[in-house]
Amino acid sequence: MRKRSFIEAFMRRLAAAGPWGAVLGTIVIAGICAPAAARAAPSGCAALAEKYPDWKGKTLVNAVNPHTPGYEAIDPKDPSKYVGFDIDLGEEIGECLGFKVTYKAVTFAALLTTLASGQADIVISDIYATEERAKAADFITYSKVFDGVLVAKGNPKKIDGINMSMCGAAAAENTGFVEVPLVQELMPKCKQAGKPEPTLQLYDNNANCIQAILAGRADTYVNDVNTVDNAVKANPDQLEKAIAVTIPYSVGIAVPKDKPKFREAVMAALTEIYKSGDQLALLKKWELDPNNLKEPGLLTVK
Amino acid sequence: MALFLHYLSLPYLLEGIEVTLQVTALGLIGGLMMGVILASMQLSRFAVLAGFARGYSVIFRGTPLILQMVFVYDALPHIGIKLPAVLAAGVALAANEAPFISEILRAGVLGVDRGQVLAGQALGMTPGVLMSRVIAPQAIRTMIPAFGAEAVSALKNSSLASVIAVQELTLRSTQLASSTFDFFSIFFASGLIYLGLTGAIAVIQLVVEAWLDLDRASSQKRLMRLLPWHRFQPQDEPLEAAEDRFDDAGVAELPPPRPKLDLIDHARRAEMLRRNNVAVGVEGLRKRYDKHVVLDGVEMTVRIGEVVALLGPSGSGKSTLLRCINHIEGWEAGSIRVGGRRLGFGDAGKKLSPRELANERAEVGVGMVFQQFNLFGHLTAKENIAGPLRWVHGWSRSDADRRAFGLLERVGLSRRADALPRHLSGGQQQRVAIARAIAPNPSVLLLDEPTSALDPELVNEVLEVIRRLAIEDGLTMIISTHQLRFAEEVADRVVLLSGGTIVEEGPAREVLARPKTTVAQRFLSAMAEE
Repeated sequence: MRKRSFIEAFMRRLAAAGPWGAVLGTIVIAGICAPAAARAAPSGCAALAEKYPDWKGKTLVNAVNPHTPGYEAIDPKDPSKYVGFDIDLGEEIGECLGFKVTYKAVTFAALLTTLASGQADIVISDIYATEERAKAADFITYSKVFDGVLVAKGNPKKIDGINMSMCGAAAAENTGFVEVPLVQELMPKCKQAGKPEPTLQLYDNNANCIQAILAGRADTYVNDVNTVDNAVKANPDQLEKAIAVTIPYSVGIAVPKDKPKFREAVMAALTEIYKSGDQLALLKKWELDPNNLKEPGLLTVK
Repeated sequence: MALFLHYLSLPYLLEGIEVTLQVTALGLIGGLMMGVILASMQLSRFAVLAGFARGYSVIFRGTPLILQMVFVYDALPHIGIKLPAVLAAGVALAANEAPFISEILRAGVLGVDRGQVLAGQALGMTPGVLMSRVIAPQAIRTMIPAFGAEAVSALKNSSLASVIAVQELTLRSTQLASSTFDFFSIFFASGLIYLGLTGAIAVIQLVVEAWLDLDRASSQKRLMRLLPWHRFQPQDEPLEAAEDRFDDAGVAELPPPRPKLDLIDHARRAEMLRRNNVAVGVEGLRKRYDKHVVLDGVEMTVRIGEVVALLGPSGSGKSTLLRCINHIEGWEAGSIRVGGRRLGFGDAGKKLSPRELANERAEVGVGMVFQQFNLFGHLTAKENIAGPLRWVHGWSRSDADRRAFGLLERVGLSRRADALPRHLSGGQQQRVAIARAIAPNPSVLLLDEPTSALDPELVNEVLEVIRRLAIEDGLTMIISTHQLRFAEEVADRVVLLSGGTIVEEGPAREVLARPKTTVAQRFLSAMAEE
């Protein structure tokens, strides 16, 4: 359903561009339609929409930190739109429960604050569900986490993770990232081993962290492996991925703590999407590692 | 370069300009409104209001804008105020700009010459009229550069709204950079857009400055000022063309006098004055500044048509006495009556508000001429006279203009009617000031050392004008002066003040020729030596 309406809009735009546009559009759509047609809306959604009617016809605000191409970023071809795995997932949840989604772009550290203040209804923005964060919001987990270690080409400092190899290095991270405390915990360990402590540079978004490495200010940036891969793809001559490491978290959708019914509905919708195979299809569509796929779970703390 | 141009013309970024301008406009307009309120609170005579405004300024000037933005956006919803993002950013920016704008306003208002404010009060202007006609027009001119700078700063500060999800230029640029990895092309493009916007503000500022420029430079010069390398040079206009100068220090500018001065019969005049009603009656007047006693029981009666010269060393209380008679200053004890009316108390005997005081001054009709002329700097000679007639006394424009031209002619300045005070010599300015003071037909004219600030060669023209007012118009005058010869010639009576009390008084010729008290003798001989 959603795919079709997107294509219709695309067609209208091309039709407006003239006869050549229409011809081109037909060719392009013929290419896209084949895989898209295989993935109809999950069949269980009709029952869900009936069970959870509160959000039908509503427009909900999704707070995102749109600096992560592949997950959420503006569309370089049409900057008025956000695109990525998380965006598609959110839209599909909305479609399942009958609500539309609009977006609010905030800094990473402000995602949960924005949710808590009621300025947003949901956060689907590649945020790792941790116990600490679960004090501010309830999480429905939907993806495993693999971190990549981004370094300058040739890995001059031979960094291979948040371990002793990072002693004395400058690590760029985003404010509020789970990697931040991990690097902080490393500091006394390096000191004990008689090595210089790693330093931490805190930024606002991925682009700034990547720029810090390109400018020679930071030696490494540890973050989601797909983000790291995209950065390397954009700057193959200057950057490389040292290694991928597993860290013990899941990516989660954050919902307000005081709306258990909404949490339940989103969880149910996500489960339908997972079961139908749509979630895996989305991972493939955005060229993300299929190993990220994970059955929806719940993380709440009192 | 191609990428840079691509981003420079990208509609997505250009739309961000609109949001940036919205936030900036909200911040500036809201900040201006709140700034006006804050400034008036701080300038008010009520300590509580001033204290509150000061407290607000301390908090909002002393905390970072970024925190205020987050506060309005994320904290206010917890108490039920959920503003849309652009409005939240605008409110935060306005709250932050307000103290800065308030300080600009306050500096502008306080920067207006105190003397002009005093002159406005003496003319019977209410605080409102004084603000709108004298203070604001001059303050605004001096505030434009600061406002320009503040507008530029607000525009740049609006970029902080990016932290609260306002899709303005900066947020759009960072998102675009994240998704395209074209970091530098995008930031150069958005930087150039910001430069264009701030440049536009600078141009607006210069245009407004040129437009408000009192000297009205030629249009070519005005355009020159828009060029970045143009340096502002104060215009050094000659006071007047060579043919306008007079060898006898301006007296020849005056129309010929009507009766001959030396034909006055002083004895008959004194006899006539004694039968006149009392114009000004001062009884037991006491005034002090903190512990310093300035007036210590002054008793004085001035009859209609009488000219009294107030003599005395500096600090003897001459100026203070004159200011009390006009009720520009208050006093602790005693009473002052002008035209039979007791100054300073309402019907119920309570103290008057500044506004009521102003109306009282206008009704009673006490004109005042100051040592420093105190002409309104932004008004022409004619407007200095005609303006107060319209604003205080409700004259029509044509009546006021006719009166102003008539008076300018009498003081020999009809040809300089359209000159600004700063383009007049000191003597000319004082003559305009006298014309302004007598325009509403006051019952008494007070002159506070009217020639002390003048170069010696300009003293005569002013004294001549005063002399004619006394003789031709029969105007009641109290003049504080150091000009003994003038006092002897023009004054009917001399009053000598020292240390806040009257030490000697009597017919001018007698006192000046044969002072009785030692204080008077010492003072007069010291003055004669000068």
